[in-house]
Amino acid sequence: MIPDNQEEQRLLIAEYVLGLHRGEQAVEIERWLAEDEQAARQAAYWREHWVGAAELLEPARLPPGLWRRLARETGIAVPWWRGLWQSTPTWRFASAALLVALVLAVGPLRQPAPIYTVVLQAPGEAAQPGWRITVSDNGDLQLTPLVQQADYRADRSVQFWTLENNAKGPRSLGLVEPGRSLVIPAEQVGGVESGQLFELTLEPPGGSPEPRPTGPVLFIGRAVAL
Amino acid sequence: MDESNHELEQATVLLLACARGDGTAFQRLYRLEAPRMLALARRLTGDPGLAEEALQDTFVQVWRNAVRFRPEKGSARAWLYALLRYRLINQHRRARRDEAEALPGDDWPDPEPNPEQCSMQSDQRRAMQECLRGLQGDRRRPILMAFYHGFTYEQIAETLAVPLGTIKSRVRTGLKGLQECLRL
Repeated sequence: MIPDNQEEQRLLIAEYVLGLHRGEQAVEIERWLAEDEQAARQAAYWREHWVGAAELLEPARLPPGLWRRLARETGIAVPWWRGLWQSTPTWRFASAALLVALVLAVGPLRQPAPIYTVVLQAPGEAAQPGWRITVSDNGDLQLTPLVQQADYRADRSVQFWTLENNAKGPRSLGLVEPGRSLVIPAEQVGGVESGQLFELTLEPPGGSPEPRPTGPVLFIGRAVAL
Repeated sequence: MDESNHELEQATVLLLACARGDGTAFQRLYRLEAPRMLALARRLTGDPGLAEEALQDTFVQVWRNAVRFRPEKGSARAWLYALLRYRLINQHRRARRDEAEALPGDDWPDPEPNPEQCSMQSDQRRAMQECLRGLQGDRRRPILMAFYHGFTYEQIAETLAVPLGTIKSRVRTGLKGLQECLRL
């Protein structure tokens, strides 16, 4: 029951914003606030002031997986060097399982002996490998297409990237011709470590104008030691 | 402009960008606001798992309903905290906690006579902190138990082992004091 007395009304709003009214009583107040502009304004003032009490709390440390779950649920594309760098065991397991499947499918790998391999998958399609990377013991990297590549628009380039760590940020390994193998010499690749991230992105012609990817991720994967 | 006010304006700009479908703005808003929201959710639930779940659900709601945010009616931060608090208050009624559990403001001394004086603070958030400091402890504590723990009158009365009527009277007197102090 909304009181007629103005002072009582103001107190009711203060109590409601504080969360002291529940159930049917709260619903009735909400209906009143939706219809009465002045009452709604009063409630908004209280909410604004209560921010001051929330700000007395020490901020908590965010759990590392929370943003990933949130991005997945909202369908937001996370910049890969921020969101995907913190690998999950599931992700690693999926990469390893795909690797085993690939080795069985394509037969034993030939010399020079690879020391790392990466299966690049389209984001969100873990069962569909698009490219394989092998890093030989001499440090050379070979990028090999595994499936027929989609025809990208002629005015776009596919660029190859790696991320050694978050502090350094992503590093371009050059442009890639869709559907064609590519060998990159060891000195250009730099050292590869287990878990290192690689990806292919779609960029403006000639590659990203920035020292980082600016276009959508086409394929992404993480290095697995053999 | 101090850092806190700058953050407040930044959050509003980011939330408006979220309404236009800007995922990067959403991520920045999350980084800016989620740490303190998680602290509040932990207070309200008393359970870290539930708090994370509520934070995630709230941010999903933020992303989907950002178009409903009206900056002329208040700051993004106030909107975010309200979403989080009402979600938790309605869904996860916290179990009764030990009366001795610390709350912000517990170490504030009781004010001198003439406690509920008007705040001269133009900054609304700081004004609230100053006005809370100006309340007598026996009025302030039940109000803060409602805010930080999401307690009802009954839960506050039970936790403090004080009759329900007395608690209602203290809370309402305290809220009147805040109202005068904040010039609401």
